[in-house]
Amino acid sequence: MSNNLLSITEAVQKLEANEISSLDLVRACKAAVDEKNSTLNAYLEVFEDIEEQAKAADERRANGERGALLGVPLALKDNILVNGRRASAASKILENYVATYDSTVVKKLKEAGAIFMGRTNMDEFAMGGSTENSAFGVTRNPHDPTRVPGGSSGGSAAALASGMALGAFGTDTGGSIREPASFCGLVGLKPTYGAVSRFGIIALGSSLDQVGPFARSVADAELLFKVIRGQDPLDSTSITETTHPKVQETRRIGVPRALLKEGVDADVLARFEESLKKLEHLGYTIVDVEIPSAALALAIYYIIMPAEASTNLARFDGVRYGLSHKGENLFDDYAKTRGSGFGPEPRRRIMLGTYVLSAGYYDAYYGKATAARAQLTREMVAALSGCDAVVTPTAPCPATVIGEKSDPLSMYLMDIFTVTANLTGNPALSVPMGTVMREGTQLPVGIQFTAAHGNEAGLFAIGKTFEAA
Amino acid sequence: MLSHDELENLARLARLDLSEAELQALGSDIASILGYVAQVSAVEFDATKPTAPLVHNVMREDVVRGEHDQVAGTEVSIRASFPKEKNGYNVVRKIIQKDE
Repeated sequence: MSNNLLSITEAVQKLEANEISSLDLVRACKAAVDEKNSTLNAYLEVFEDIEEQAKAADERRANGERGALLGVPLALKDNILVNGRRASAASKILENYVATYDSTVVKKLKEAGAIFMGRTNMDEFAMGGSTENSAFGVTRNPHDPTRVPGGSSGGSAAALASGMALGAFGTDTGGSIREPASFCGLVGLKPTYGAVSRFGIIALGSSLDQVGPFARSVADAELLFKVIRGQDPLDSTSITETTHPKVQETRRIGVPRALLKEGVDADVLARFEESLKKLEHLGYTIVDVEIPSAALALAIYYIIMPAEASTNLARFDGVRYGLSHKGENLFDDYAKTRGSGFGPEPRRRIMLGTYVLSAGYYDAYYGKATAARAQLTREMVAALSGCDAVVTPTAPCPATVIGEKSDPLSMYLMDIFTVTANLTGNPALSVPMGTVMREGTQLPVGIQFTAAHGNEAGLFAIGKTFEAA
Repeated sequence: MLSHDELENLARLARLDLSEAELQALGSDIASILGYVAQVSAVEFDATKPTAPLVHNVMREDVVRGEHDQVAGTEVSIRASFPKEKNGYNVVRKIIQKDE
């Protein structure tokens, strides 16, 4: 197998045994970049110093140093700050912004010895589920370049699925790691809210955002998660490993049947039913669970997220950094900078968020959504008191054709199964569950496991059993 | 459906300079999205249950940091990000005007 297609676990073993060097890994990934990135547009920028980073890692290893990711090339979404490198969130408003500090995630990855291949394309400010909303062109799906890779972390998913890195990081506000993982045949984790520090991450929805890994196996996802997790004094929402109580394993898996009645592609549903059979065969008992408010999750999400997004994006005003246009007066400075710097989807969500937060509408929208979210969280906690995980397909369909979902609402409906975990704060893992045939091409689809708060370990345990069977 | 005046007011509140065509297009997008999310406004929730999500305050002692112990970057790197810099300052528009 080519070195760029190894799992991280395999690569680390080979590095340890001196069978390969980090430079071999980086050169193999770079060869994939040279061959495919002009088509796929997975990376917005491949860093010039990747070989230097690899040589330094090889030297550290030769000197007896060890690190969980020493010499392993990874891809980073363009909204994760690395000191001295550009971070644009795939937006014109931050096109030339150079980060002045390391995000906590990057600091931890550097300590573990990781190599950063480059920054990956995304929907602008993580707003979207297809990576079509990037200001720097669409990313294409490695399994079928006429299709989207999913989003918003589509560049990270495409980079990993095409062998341009051994692992990748994204952010997930409403499914932005899990949906592209499903579309690109990868494992993707949205950790428990607060499990990973957001210091140095360009925010979308602050009560929803989490950073998480893309990986080729559940074991790799676990390894990457363990490196980045942990409480951080610089992020007051971050939690410790003991914040949430430990849960007892039940060997039961819950299925919210009511959610699967309509809107799910028949082939995806067939793979899902086969997966349930497989879980049964593995010794799990499949039980029905009721999460009535989950039917409202998408509506709740598309009130709360734009409200938080419009608030977070208020900071981009051209005064301190980023794009800056001058007008007649201060108001014009702001409006010109923001009107031309933000792309169509951020403009749409800022308008929507401004509306739902404005006087007279706040109670009917944001107030109601907040109450509904609390109710949904209670229902999820109750459902998970009787089972180890709640399962659904990760997305209602396989990767769509580029341009197919042109109106915003039909695009938003792609998030129907993923937004719930962001609203309730639960960890959720997408694992490949086979493929579906579309126009002669096998397209991967994923199954989503949602576990109790803080129970990533439970997700990894089920995920490993499931992927091995 | 939002009126033209409402849309203009929203764009003003959001500090977005939008073309007339885009304002129209956003009007119909927002109407369709609001139509979908309105199902939440229609639901009655149990008033005896807490309505806020499960959040709590996080407090810590203040930490004094020195000039060379900045967490968000050095003075030089932050200054380099300024759209317009003069003598180490970020040049911004004068916003306090003399009374007429």
